[in-house]
This record gives sequence, C-alpha cells and structure tokens, in this order.
Amino acid sequence: MSNPIKNVQENNGVVIIATEGYFNNVAGDAVLEVFNQKLEEGKVNFLIDMSDSKVVNSIGVSILIEIIEKLQSVDGKLAFTNLASIVEKTFNIMGITKYCEVYDSVDSGVEKLS
Amino acid sequence: MSGPAPKRSVEDLEKQLLKKNRDLNEKYLELETLLDLTNTINSLDDLDDLFFNVLTLSSSILNSSKGLILLKNEISNIFDPVSVFNLDEEKIKKQIFNARSGFLNKLESEMKSFIINKKDNFNNDLFDSQFSLISPIIYDKKLVGALILFDKETRSGLCDFTDNDLKLLEAISMQTSIAYQNIKLLESLLKSKKLNDNIMSSITTGIIEINLFGEIQFTNTEADRLLGKSKEEIIGNHYMILFEKNDQIIDLIQNVESLQKRVFENEFLLKSKSKKISVNISFSPVFDEKKEFSGIVIAIDDLSKINKIKSTFKKYVSKNIVDRLLENEDSLNLGGKESDVTILFSDIRGFTSMSEKLTPSEIVKILNKYFKSMIDVVFKYNGTLDKIVGDELMVLYGVPLKGEGDTINAVKTAIEMFKALDKFNEKIIKEGYEPLKIGIGINQGKAVSGNIGSEQQMNYTVIGDTINLGARLCSHAKSGEILISRSVKDLIGDEFNFKKTPTIEVKGKSKPIDVWLYKH
Repeated sequence: MSNPIKNVQENNGVVIIATEGYFNNVAGDAVLEVFNQKLEEGKVNFLIDMSDSKVVNSIGVSILIEIIEKLQSVDGKLAFTNLASIVEKTFNIMGITKYCEVYDSVDSGVEKLS
Repeated sequence: MSGPAPKRSVEDLEKQLLKKNRDLNEKYLELETLLDLTNTINSLDDLDDLFFNVLTLSSSILNSSKGLILLKNEISNIFDPVSVFNLDEEKIKKQIFNARSGFLNKLESEMKSFIINKKDNFNNDLFDSQFSLISPIIYDKKLVGALILFDKETRSGLCDFTDNDLKLLEAISMQTSIAYQNIKLLESLLKSKKLNDNIMSSITTGIIEINLFGEIQFTNTEADRLLGKSKEEIIGNHYMILFEKNDQIIDLIQNVESLQKRVFENEFLLKSKSKKISVNISFSPVFDEKKEFSGIVIAIDDLSKINKIKSTFKKYVSKNIVDRLLENEDSLNLGGKESDVTILFSDIRGFTSMSEKLTPSEIVKILNKYFKSMIDVVFKYNGTLDKIVGDELMVLYGVPLKGEGDTINAVKTAIEMFKALDKFNEKIIKEGYEPLKIGIGINQGKAVSGNIGSEQQMNYTVIGDTINLGARLCSHAKSGEILISRSVKDLIGDEFNFKKTPTIEVKGKSKPIDVWLYKH
C-alpha cells in the first residue's frame, strides 16, 4: 500500500499533514507518529489536510481522538481541512468537531491556527 | 462475607463514561452510514458507482482494512474484480476467480454471508490478509457477485470479524443486490426504449399516442412530418388542439373513446399545416394491464408517396403491373439480369414524307393521339413501354415482371394495334389528314434487363441480340404487316394464322432468318 502521509509541511508554526487514501489504523498510526515527533520538537498547532482521504473508519477516528487528547494537555490545537462530506459527517457523529475546527482550505486553516 | 466493593475513582468513571459514549457514537455512526449507504445505492444508476460506494462505505462501517467486489462475467462465468479497495489492484486482476471450488463455490451453494476460514481454500496471501468476510450479491435467485472484506481493525491490531459484522454485511449485500437488480432493470428498460425509438423513427408509418386525458404522449418522426409540426408543438397538447383543422379525426377519436374499438379509414384526407395529404389512418384503443382503456394509438400511412410512384410507373407499365409490383417488391427485377423477354417494335411507314406536309404542332398533335391509342392497347396486354423514339414504339413483355403468356400478349397487342389504328385513322381522315400506316416486328429470347446508364441518368431497359433482331423484323415489316421470329412462332403455335414467308437476311446475322407473317 502507498504511504498514507502525502506530505508534511510547516507554515507560520502550523504543521500541515496531508494524508492520502483510506484513513484507517495504518493512516492514523502514521499521522500519530508524525504528530509525536513534531510535538517533541515543540509544535502544538496541527492542520490535517484530508483532500485525498475520502474514506475513514472508526479506528482512524479513535487515533485522531488520541491526538486531540494529547494536544489538550499541552494547550495545542488540531484542525482539519478539505473534508469530504461523508468524512465530515463521521467526524460530527464521533464528536471530533466539538473539539476541532474544520476549514475550507489549507490557507484559511493556517491563518486561523497561527 | 466479602468486603465492600472497591471505590472507583472519579477518573475511572469518567474514562468508562467516555468509552461508553464513544461506543454509542460508533453504533450511531454504523446506523447512519448504513442509512446513507441505502439512500446512496438506491439513487445510483451506474454499476461502477454502486460497487465503489458499497465497498468503501462497508469497509468504513466494519473497520475492515481492505475490500473487494467480484462480479460474474455472464459469458465466461469467471468472477471479475469490479471494485478494489486498499488492495494491490494489478495483482488481484491477474487472479482467476470461479465458483467451481473454494469460497465462491460455498457462497454459491449457501447463498449467505460467512466468515471465511482456512477450510474454504481461501488464498489469504493473495490479499495479504488474515481474516475475511464474504457476502453474496444475488440477482434472479442466482449468485452474480461477492462482496469481500478483509482484516477487521482494532486499536490493538487486526482481528477476525464477529457475528454482528456478519449480520451487518448481510444487510448491506441484500441492499446491494436490490440496487444491482434495479440498475440491471433500468439498463434493460433503456435498451428496450432505445430499440423501440429506433424502430419508431425508422418506420414509414406515422404513430401518435394519446393518453387517457386526450393529451399527445408520443409521436414518431413520420407522424411529426405528416402533421407538419415539431415535437415540441405536438407533445402534451390535447388532440382537439392538434387536430383542430381535422373535425373528422376528432369525431373518429371520440368514436374510439366511446366504443373502444378499432376504426380504420382508407384514402383519408389529412389536413396538415399547409396541405392535404392522402393517408390510410387507423385508431386503436389501448388497454392497460387491468384491461382498462388507457388511450388511443393512431397509425397513419402516407399514400401520396405510393400514389406518386403509381402515377409515374403508370406512364410506362399497365396499372395491373404497378399494383402487382407494389404488392410484391421481390418480383421486381431491376438489377442486371438475363431473362426471357418478348420485344415488340412498331414503326410508322412513310412518316418522314408525311411529316414534310405538316406543321410541327400538327405532327406533335397527331403523334400524341396515335401513341395514346397504341399505348392503351399495350397496357391492356400488360406490356411495358420501354421507349418511344421518333415514330417508333418499343414494348417489352416478361420484364420487369414475368407474366403468364407474355409472348401471346405481345402478338395480341400487335393485332389489336392495327384495329386501334383503323379507328384512329378514321378520325384523322375526317380532320383532313392522311391515314397512318405501321409495321410491327416481334421477337422472343434471352436479353439482359436492368437499370442501364450513368449515375446522372439511368433507365430501365433491355439489351442484347434478341432486341436487335426484334428491331430488324420491324424494319422488314411492310405497312399492315406483323413479322415474327421462329421463337415467337414456337410459343404461339397456329393460333393467330401467321404464314411462313421466305427467309430474310438481317444485318449482324450470318444465316438467313426464318420469319412468319400476319397481314392485317
């Protein structure tokens, strides 16, 4: 399977993680690994760009919840951008969007988080 | 006695509450996604979209790592991968799946979902998986496909699917089977509609369908042409508006509405936009599946084309032959074909010297009257007028339509032409003109008939030695004489009192020709 992390960038102190394909435990773990690494470097603002991930499962979502919990303890923020409607609906049901913002574009996400 | 239960810390309770809340949300998500899936797949009209949505959403609900949908090829009976999710597509496409043995065989015999185990001869290596769940896609009580999910994900790693997963996938595959059936029915319906449209647009009968409310529901291209209106002007309008200039049609429709019986009108004058068209028109009541009246279908056949053909043809052949040709097109021989032909030539004797004494308009007037009386006789005996060259007539028998006694008819024509000429002469003598004198030659034999000429001008005619000899016999015949060849004599016998005369020499023939003579 291809790497679920399409690319990782930083802009104005915001770490932008772009994912690709099925957002399941594999993709979730890959994001978690990048997150842990950047957190150790002192980064606390994260934006996940899911323009190329149109399908998620609850395991992927549960990993995102883990990330949110960790960020809450360090007063950091996680946000999402380019969500497919079905993914956004899943996030709403799983309660993620109560703790995270969803932005229309990477630029608007970076602007709000930085 | 056991001691008091250990007190749970607030933190533990909070964690348990959060977990319960999360589990509840997951169940809610499951239901929502299932509802979404049902709504989505029932609104799709494309199989690729259907399978993609089913596979991705069921993988998402059941937390499977990957999935596959196989669909049976109706010709090869091989199950082709039609949708692949999170698997190596190239690798999967190289694999042949069939129901002769293994997991597909089990699926075909049981027709229900099951968790695949090692006994089912399942190649987990191919899918790089450990656990698999399979469900049937059924159409017309037969297995047409399979929905397979692999490796249920948990936070602590992969695990086998549960009975709940099995039930959930069974529900999804049932929905998928119904959606598949709907799409196939829709495809079949569209195919039938397309075929129906093609037939309707290609037939030369105009078809108009009127619904129960008297509105025009359908017309084909020919009907639009006959009515002289565009489809937009016709469809949805009431027949009272469409046929406002055709009171009789309105009466006939109302007649069919009340009697619910078919009505047919021959050679009816249909008032179109700017003209009247002669048509055959029928009005048939339509009944629904409960045998209740549901509308009327009008069928219109344009007779103007047929009438045009008839009137054009009638200039050359008898009405009898035109009718037979129109009844049976197969009998028409218009291609290049060798067949038995009887040919009659007639020529006016001394016409050149006579015409020198007449004005051009007098010549035309006399010739037209002469030809009319001769052609009437020709058509009486089913001859085909091939051509008129100057004062010469060339008439065919046996082509384009072979008939009974073609040669005898040719001889009867010739004899009666003289009688008709006598009457004609009586008239023109009274008008102060000299009587016409003719000679006739008849031959019978093989000749090539067909449309001969170039693309710009093509005429139906006959060519060959038989024709040339017919022309020579005519030129040898003197005034009041009919000369026939041996082939004609053999066919008519002694019936018409032809006498053997000395042989004649004709151009193009090395030997003298036997001829028989009839004198008027």
